[in-house]
Amino acid sequence: MGERGPVIECSDVTMRFARTLALDGASAVFSPGEIHAVVGENGAGKSTLLKLAAGSLAPTSGSVAVGGERLRPATPAEAARRRVLMVHQHFMLVGAFTALENLMLGNEPVQQGGVLNEARARREVTALAEKTGLTVPFDTVADALGVGDKQRLEILRVLYRGALAILLDEPTAVLTPLEADELYKVLRSLADEGRTVVIVTHRLDEVVRFADRVTVMRRGRTVLTRPLDRASNAASTEDLTRAIMGREPPPPFSPPDVESDAKMAIEIRALGFQDAAGVTRLRDITMSVRAGEIVGIAGVEGNGQRELVHAIAGLLPSCSGSIAVAGEPLPFDADEARAIAARRSVVRVVHEDRHTEGLLLDATVADNLVLGQLGTVSRDHEAEVVSRRVKSFGIVPADPSRLAGELSGGNQQKIVVARALDAFLSKGTQPGCAVVISQPTRGVDVGAAAAIHEAIGKAAAAGLGVLIVSADLAELRQLCHRLLVIRKGEIVAEFAPSASEETIGRAMLGAEAA
Amino acid sequence: MSGVFSLTMVAESLRISAPYVCAAMGGIWAEKSGVVQIGLEGVLLTSAFASVAAAAATQSAVIGLLTGVCAGALLSLGHALLVEKAKVHAMVSGIALNLLAYAGTRLALRGLYDSASNSPAIEGFRFGPVGASGGALLGRVFADPVTLVAILMAVATPWLLKKTRFGLRVRAAGENPDALSAVGASVTKIRSYALLLSGVACGLGGVHLAFDQHRFESGMSNGRGFIALAAVVVSGWRAGYAVLACLAFGALEALQIVLQDDLRKSRGGDLIQLLPYVATLLVLAVAAGKSNAPKALGK
Amino acid sequence: MNATLRRFKQPALVAVIAIAGLWLVFNLIAFAFAEAPLATLARAWGGTWGTPYGIGQVLFKATPLIFTGYAFHIAQRAGLFNIGAEGQLAAASLCGGAFAAQLPASTPMPLALLSALLVGAIVGALVALPPAVMRARLGVHEVITAIMMNRIVDVLVPFTVATVLGASSLRTADVVSGATLPRLDKVFVSLSGSAASAAFPLAVALVVALYFWLGRSRPGREMQWIGKSAEACRAEGISVRNRLILAMLLSGAFAGLGMSATVLGYKGYFEVGLGSGAGFAGIAVALLGRGHPIGIVLAALFFGTLEQAGLAINARVPKEAMTVLEAVAIVLVSAAGRVSISNTEQPANSASNEGDSSKSEAQGGGPDGPEKGSTRQSPKTKPDTEFAEVTPS
Repeated sequence: MGERGPVIECSDVTMRFARTLALDGASAVFSPGEIHAVVGENGAGKSTLLKLAAGSLAPTSGSVAVGGERLRPATPAEAARRRVLMVHQHFMLVGAFTALENLMLGNEPVQQGGVLNEARARREVTALAEKTGLTVPFDTVADALGVGDKQRLEILRVLYRGALAILLDEPTAVLTPLEADELYKVLRSLADEGRTVVIVTHRLDEVVRFADRVTVMRRGRTVLTRPLDRASNAASTEDLTRAIMGREPPPPFSPPDVESDAKMAIEIRALGFQDAAGVTRLRDITMSVRAGEIVGIAGVEGNGQRELVHAIAGLLPSCSGSIAVAGEPLPFDADEARAIAARRSVVRVVHEDRHTEGLLLDATVADNLVLGQLGTVSRDHEAEVVSRRVKSFGIVPADPSRLAGELSGGNQQKIVVARALDAFLSKGTQPGCAVVISQPTRGVDVGAAAAIHEAIGKAAAAGLGVLIVSADLAELRQLCHRLLVIRKGEIVAEFAPSASEETIGRAMLGAEAA
Repeated sequence: MSGVFSLTMVAESLRISAPYVCAAMGGIWAEKSGVVQIGLEGVLLTSAFASVAAAAATQSAVIGLLTGVCAGALLSLGHALLVEKAKVHAMVSGIALNLLAYAGTRLALRGLYDSASNSPAIEGFRFGPVGASGGALLGRVFADPVTLVAILMAVATPWLLKKTRFGLRVRAAGENPDALSAVGASVTKIRSYALLLSGVACGLGGVHLAFDQHRFESGMSNGRGFIALAAVVVSGWRAGYAVLACLAFGALEALQIVLQDDLRKSRGGDLIQLLPYVATLLVLAVAAGKSNAPKALGK
Repeated sequence: MNATLRRFKQPALVAVIAIAGLWLVFNLIAFAFAEAPLATLARAWGGTWGTPYGIGQVLFKATPLIFTGYAFHIAQRAGLFNIGAEGQLAAASLCGGAFAAQLPASTPMPLALLSALLVGAIVGALVALPPAVMRARLGVHEVITAIMMNRIVDVLVPFTVATVLGASSLRTADVVSGATLPRLDKVFVSLSGSAASAAFPLAVALVVALYFWLGRSRPGREMQWIGKSAEACRAEGISVRNRLILAMLLSGAFAGLGMSATVLGYKGYFEVGLGSGAGFAGIAVALLGRGHPIGIVLAALFFGTLEQAGLAINARVPKEAMTVLEAVAIVLVSAAGRVSISNTEQPANSASNEGDSSKSEAQGGGPDGPEKGSTRQSPKTKPDTEFAEVTPS
């Protein structure tokens, strides 16, 4: 190769969507030969900046230049022509295609008449894979590949398409730390060959370990760019955190005390579950949450958290073992509506993805606040219930006739939390009822997150058992009385919140990391 | 019960299957690219009419054939543009297309030939042996240029989809258009070409229908577009199996003709017409859950 | 801009585009048949709204379309595309007609009428049952199954009339007099001779009643919620299966009731082909009427006018000209208004586009930005002015 990557220069770019200012005069220069990390909170504008650099979006104002020349037209095709290619956060793979077909797509070697030259493609990508160490089983369909393979496939594809500048949006979010290290090794060699490598991530430890330069973003602006000195890791992380937050962190939340004789809220015994394909997703889970206690479930994503929440919620038809809440055994039932109805008086669940499992984005806030509760909230009281929920959970704007999709992520999250908690909080609960909240503050701004944490504290103080599932270890350590670690569908360890992130992280990864 | 295992039966099956196969290939191209096409019926009808009108006007079967195919292609392309560019719901566009074809051809029948039911006779292609024997029938089937092109189409479609750059992109458009546009290809363009090809294939079926009868009759597609769609669904959106399903449906219909006299007594023969539809429902019920439908069909 | 004005601006624009397009096509057709467009239009007007008889005929033609149009809308609310009204109506017409003919001649009016309507509704629902169950239980898309049901009914109806009922003329016997719906000309004498019957007020009343029931009752609201996101409803304990089946059956039943206009209000018997086309036209009516009862009644009247106008001009310009106009109207209205059948698309799919779910930030935007999954149109499409005035909190 030997060709050097282009310099990508974003100057004073502003990006406005509908009502949102995603970028507000951000500037950054990405140079060849180094790994440049872009960090920031959710909503700071990292992904947007990357998409502008890749031509996926055109800036509202300001300019993007590639190799000293303005990127015009601002399209992915033009960016690709200048050899700037992006690896999206969500894989852009055709699930039904083999890895080889995915590699060819868009850059197909053909013989006369447009006939695919599969042999040539195979030869070329094999050579490329050997050179970079990005090995992928070429004849496996993409759907059957693991996330690590998919990630390698995506990177191999941009290289096969001739990328000299590679932009990666949170590539390590789905990888285990070991896979992430492997990925950085590849990125390092690409940078050393003279390519431009830009990576968006929120894992600061990776940044200080692997990146050459970092840009910090906050509220649509680039607030700091500087080279990284690998000698002073600890100091760097602290500085970066402060730059990312833009202020001192909010006063820590502390969970209310649990009475020593509190009764059991959630009791799970020997819970097991196999999915339709016969894969064991949950294995022999035994755990409990007492009234007034907040228990966190930590784990690398996809280790059974979702199934555990679904089992408690009544969305899994058949599990072995038992779950009881407030002393009442919860039935498993293929008829989900019946299973949920049986649980409604003792346990409520907030699911992880509010867009798909929590909200009707095209329906009003009022409808969303009583979704699924028409059987219990009578028509006469509905308006009253809605306005109480809006008020007590601080949903803004406080107009229940607004569509849920028009609200910010934080206020949307307040809706789903309000729906789950209010029925318990307003009536005064019988002690021992429970709530399960999955990813309580994912993609939520700091203010809303604090409000949600406060509501969770209130719920616990009112005598509810609270189970929190979160990918955010810091959040769990702050919120919970106890942390349980789930790995491969099993509870493998228990920690006090004072345990270090490193220790907990090691348990999440199991033997691999030891 | 004579004739079930005769050459006549084979010949009739092939002759009747041909338009089904063409329309089904049209369905495969459209739906593999992710565009729902319930307007195959309208494409069949329009191209049948266009081929007859052109053949009658020019006294040339070849011009008739080309005109019919072009009409089908244009109509199908219109569907693609409405769906992709104007964001009209594919089902709505398909219904409008069928309605337009049905009423438009009747309107044109009145306008051109002052008839409410059919066009004057046209010559079409007459090749192959004469006579009513099974062998002669079979000979005529294989001497018919339209049938031969249809066979070519049936063979070429799966190969094109599997082995060419265009086919790869069509399948990608149907499976994950975001992935296709992420590699810099235009989903709208790919789908438009796919629908153009769909119209050519389906249009060929319309021409076959008209040339086989040597005239156009109002509403002569008679549900064949829907049966072809059923064949596509039953086959799990696989071109080869769709051809087999069409041959089976054609054979069923041929059976009705061959056994006509026996069946007419009981009238139960009419119920044979139900088989493709009932079979489709059954296959869908049994194969539910492991659908092979393109993932982005209709998106 | 004034909010009320904005609300009416878009439909008004759609109407202008649609009318301009229709006028163009109408002119082309008229010229093709060497007729002056204005004279043809005058003839069409005379045959429809120009005379009391014409008005009656328009009402008559519109009545089944109100039923099938609202039927389509009921399913659409729940995210279902009921393309099967054609078959549901045909089967209901046959069975309702045959049933009403079998009643003892002395059956009193309310009983005969109600039972005939009930049979029509039940048969309509039964034809919708296989698609409903296959969708709700097996996840098979309802469009292909409903098309198959249409075709099956298409074969079975003439077969049944010919063999089971043994009729030689492809029609059933006359229904008993108690089951016929009175013509409107009994009340409005000037409509004399037209086929408009009490089925028209019946249709309007039923649509209004159902509109309120659907909007206020628990099943009605839950059905609508499912249309917006089945996944979220499932997670919150709404029985998605049962509600989907209910929506489809209601839709089929309502389509089936369209037989009141043709069998009970007009012919007094069923013949093969009676009322055909109303099922598909109903889809257009629902799209044009935008799900609002008044809109649907008006849209049905518009299509009824086109059908009646076709008959009025048939001597000079074939009546199919008006069917062509119907098709053009469907396309124009859908394209101009981008008639959002967004109900039938699960918002769940739409969140996937630029690779952003709630985890990521692009659409989450700034801390106060709206967080709504975009559809396939990328965020590059220009900012939505709808929301432009709303001040972020």
